[in-house]
Amino acid sequence: MEKSATGFEFRGNAKEWFGIWIVNLLLSILTLGIYSAWAKVRRNKYFYNNTYIEGRNFDYHATGGQILIGRLIVVGAYIVLNVIIGLFPMSAVVVLPLLIVAIPWLIVRAMMFNARMSSFSNVRFNFTGGAGSAFVVFLIYPILTALTLYTTFPMLERAIKRFSINNHKLGTAPFVLDAPLKPFYTALFAALAWFLAVGAVLFVFAQDSVFQVMTNQNPDPEEVLIWIAGFYGVFFIGVLPAAVLYQALVRNAVYNHTVLAGGHRFRSNVSARALLWIAVTNLLAVALTLGLMLPWAQVRLARYLAGHTGVALGGSLDEFVGTQQTKTSALGDAYADIEGIDVGLPV
Amino acid sequence: MAAGCRLNTAVEGRAYAPLSSRIYAARLACRCSAAPEETGLLAGCQAEVLDSEGRVLAAAALTELRIDARLGRQPRRLEFPDGTVFETEDHAAIEALTGPVRGSWLHSMEQFRPRLIAVAAAALAGIWLVWRYGLDMLVAAAVMITPAVAVQQIDSGMVQTIDYALAEPTGLSKQEQARVTEVFETLLAHAGEPPKGAGFQLLFRDMPGMGPNALALPGGTVVMTDAFVEQFPDEDVLAGVLGHEIGHVAEQHGLKQLYRSIGLYVVVAFLAGETGPLMEDVLLEGNVLLSLRYGRGHEASADSYGVRLADRAGYDPEGLKRFFAEVQGQAGEPPEWLSSHPNHATRLEAIDGHIRALGR
Repeated sequence: MEKSATGFEFRGNAKEWFGIWIVNLLLSILTLGIYSAWAKVRRNKYFYNNTYIEGRNFDYHATGGQILIGRLIVVGAYIVLNVIIGLFPMSAVVVLPLLIVAIPWLIVRAMMFNARMSSFSNVRFNFTGGAGSAFVVFLIYPILTALTLYTTFPMLERAIKRFSINNHKLGTAPFVLDAPLKPFYTALFAALAWFLAVGAVLFVFAQDSVFQVMTNQNPDPEEVLIWIAGFYGVFFIGVLPAAVLYQALVRNAVYNHTVLAGGHRFRSNVSARALLWIAVTNLLAVALTLGLMLPWAQVRLARYLAGHTGVALGGSLDEFVGTQQTKTSALGDAYADIEGIDVGLPV
Repeated sequence: MAAGCRLNTAVEGRAYAPLSSRIYAARLACRCSAAPEETGLLAGCQAEVLDSEGRVLAAAALTELRIDARLGRQPRRLEFPDGTVFETEDHAAIEALTGPVRGSWLHSMEQFRPRLIAVAAAALAGIWLVWRYGLDMLVAAAVMITPAVAVQQIDSGMVQTIDYALAEPTGLSKQEQARVTEVFETLLAHAGEPPKGAGFQLLFRDMPGMGPNALALPGGTVVMTDAFVEQFPDEDVLAGVLGHEIGHVAEQHGLKQLYRSIGLYVVVAFLAGETGPLMEDVLLEGNVLLSLRYGRGHEASADSYGVRLADRAGYDPEGLKRFFAEVQGQAGEPPEWLSSHPNHATRLEAIDGHIRALGR
């Protein structure tokens, strides 16, 4: 990172987060999952609160009640829709297309809720994206991308990041992502190159048995085992590191081309190798301790990411101004929660 | 200790004006119209935020402040009704101000003390209970509320898919079909009531590449391949395998597997939260392996059901065994933990056990 940039700092520690996490877990189980809404608030608050830049931190303001109600509505709607389709199968023709149109709307609601419930230095974030552009970005572009056999995938990636970032504001100050396509293509090619290189090496080693398994109708069980080991080998050595490499390069590209009004330029110099090392050792630590080291792993990752992210400040951070906010419901947020959609800004 | 103003010295901290990111060095002062020790009420107490020159930035009754619950070592935030925010690291002072609240109990539980070991043990035990019993209960409840029409819908949808992608119309003669269907009907006559929403029917399809095979759909549709009837004309074998498939329907294995994989996904998502890269891929992969294991349990259970049903209906319970003994040598098998079905050797051994249990 350049000298002039001010770094983010993560001040949380594993011990403290372990205590909060394990109590969250226990209460969630004891209440049959109901408490998990409050647990989510505590988790977000912990990670937001502990992320600092220039002595100022982030905060999360949603309440457990809001999140629980949102979740109940989504689960209720899901059950009702299933029952309707079950009772009147023909209604699926109308209901399913309606749902597909509703998804971009829900995504936008989720992003709006999350933004408005987050603040930095007492100023709330906001999200102003419309369902119409979400429809184009999340439904039309992916179809077009598929039509080009995913050769334009980096364009889709950039469009999604642009939609997310350019519609976010800190108070009245907008974020702008203005990035060329090149780094997105570089990320894709780097990931592909890794995957192909690993595939080629494994193929050279296992060539004979691959051919034997593929041409033999009744392969020897041992050969099948080698083949399956090869499959997992490709998955763990080829696919997963390629995915981490891609994520790291895209993250750097996105941050390094994002500016917050006031001349604040974001910086990120995450290294794929370090990220992969953290991911692998985290995985081992968590697996070997029946999950008890998960809080440690999460803190470690947050600390690394914050340590390699910064802002070249264009002026004082005192100048942000918030706006009076209208109420937002947690409905979309709950939907995103349940469907596992990740649309948040990477902090 | 009663809460309220007992602040002779003000609390040091920082303040933000409403809707502004500007930070002021500030302090919080508090005074009450009556001594709180006597009234025990906060109502008469007034809180004020003062800047370094002593100017009042905001003031409000203590009861009107919004004070977030304590979380780790994070600064406490006090929000005044006008939006002014005061924040401080002086936790003791704020605790004295608010007295014990719901959040303070939570905070004390979360402390990294020996007591936390008990919490962790309870949480692990809880996870084990959810995993061992909770998921099954969830699945049973979901199966119970699934409307009958929905189950039938799954069947007709899947038959359409099979016909479109995998199968050709059957090439079996009418007599052959009738012969197998009679075995099927005889078995059904000895099986109990079908579960709610299920109606049994037997379909024949020519499925190239699937070999001698049969499959059951949740609504009671059983599909048998032509290759099966051609390779195993023996009625005892047919009875064993059809009994196995009827077992899948009677014990609602299809729906249970569907709901279990959804349930596991939701439970993991709610309990683990964000796990970071790599770990979530591995969790998903582990989920697949676990659901395979669940499926193997169902296969074994259907084997047992099939053997018992065939016996009750007057067929030789050895039929199912003959089938597996025959196909055992025909194709290589993946290791058991990677397969949706138990290995043939395991199954043969278990079937022997079921037959012995019949008391012959």
